[in-house]
Amino acid sequence: MKYIKDHIMFIFPMLAILFGIESFIVFDRMSKSYEQELRADYSMLVLTSKPMELSRFKKLDGSISSVDIMEKRSIVEEMAKGMSGISAEDIMQSLPYFYTVHLGKYLDAKAIEKIRGKLIASEDIKSVETFDQSHNSSYNLFLFIKIVLWVFVGFMTLSSLFLVIKQMEIWQFSHKERMQVMEIFGASTMLRSGILFKRAIIDAVMATILTSALFAFLRFVWVERSNIEILTKNKKLLFEYQDIAILGSIAMLIVIVAVTIVVVGNREGKL
Amino acid sequence: MANIISASHLTLGYSNNDVDIIKNANFKIKKGDFVFITGPSGSGKSTLLRSFYGQLRPTSGNLLVGAQDMSKISKKKLQELRTHFGIIFQDYKLINEWSVAKNVVLPLIIAGYNVDMQETQAKRLLKHVKLSEHADRLPLELSGGEQQRIGVARALAKNPTLILADEPTGNLDEYSSNVIWDLMENANEQLDATVVVVTHRIPNIFSIPYRHLIIENKGIYEVH
Repeated sequence: MKYIKDHIMFIFPMLAILFGIESFIVFDRMSKSYEQELRADYSMLVLTSKPMELSRFKKLDGSISSVDIMEKRSIVEEMAKGMSGISAEDIMQSLPYFYTVHLGKYLDAKAIEKIRGKLIASEDIKSVETFDQSHNSSYNLFLFIKIVLWVFVGFMTLSSLFLVIKQMEIWQFSHKERMQVMEIFGASTMLRSGILFKRAIIDAVMATILTSALFAFLRFVWVERSNIEILTKNKKLLFEYQDIAILGSIAMLIVIVAVTIVVVGNREGKL
Repeated sequence: MANIISASHLTLGYSNNDVDIIKNANFKIKKGDFVFITGPSGSGKSTLLRSFYGQLRPTSGNLLVGAQDMSKISKKKLQELRTHFGIIFQDYKLINEWSVAKNVVLPLIIAGYNVDMQETQAKRLLKHVKLSEHADRLPLELSGGEQQRIGVARALAKNPTLILADEPTGNLDEYSSNVIWDLMENANEQLDATVVVVTHRIPNIFSIPYRHLIIENKGIYEVH
């Protein structure tokens, strides 16, 4: 019973840490995916007096990744039908060239305004419409949620670390005499602390398996049943197999640091 | 016979206290000796014993144990040196979460013996101290006398060249004390182990020749 209790007392805070870290990983993945979507959906409208190639746009600002010229002939021809004495060619000549300009990365309103400034400074560009207001407000909300999650994960990790350290102190106390007796009989540090490392590594593996299983369950079972569209669409982001390696490595790092603290704290004293 | 312990102008004290406990002591313990070290409470008997297994370094003077200078010995050398010792404590210092059998073979575990060898030796040692039936029990389930017999068996596990005992019968009744003395006499006679025992009182019935060092006024003197 004591053995099981000892394990649970260590696994529990480890689970909390790993849960917090995995939540952060998932949210980070989601935010990157959301940014990608925003970037893909976002474009500026640029009106020019002359036809312009992508290379010219790129010269004006390096973050421009592609440009599409907007086809206006069919609209102009439709317009010309309703007008007497004006040909479609006349209208075409008087209209500027319309381009949709895409960016290589997601930028905030300030950076977009800078690009706008650079573009408008060119004498061939007549006007730039950035449409930044609507998508910027939703992205700001997303950023806010991200910061709140950071704070939450940070707080959870910190408080769980305290629990791990507390458990380490209990281990330190309960293993002190055994380790000192072994040292008196000439045991090496590795042999003295082997039992602690073994126990802590088992707990780290258990915590990694449990956390991974929880997120795998969310991805493969719960999301399917939930019928929540946004989650179903992004279910791949909820758990990836590489997360097991990340969580395992973090758990191992934590136990190695924690056990080393115990071992160093148990240096030979007066028996 | 070669010296196994040799002290010249040995001074011992604790770093947190300027007072010397042993001062300018000179003595030699030869291989195969059975030595009692006596002295009043607080005279420094246990402190002296601790310096033999390297838990306390000399403040000044020389202390050679098995040709190792204990004031300069490295951690690694000390670790190696200790594997040749059998140490017995007044309060047994058994590992309470380990079985009796596992406690007994601790020196063999440290030396890297395989499990089969450990089991064979545990049976032999427990038979020697007449505790075979308790092999799988935990130390705290046994009496003080039985626990000390486990302590002696542990000390003998690897045929040590030097046995250091700190008040080994201090907490025991007369019967249990006699059993412990018998085991230590045997170790000295049959295994040719050097035995150094710190005690308040030398037992009345002791059948083998022994030396007696006494600690008095921080000095160490031989009683003839």
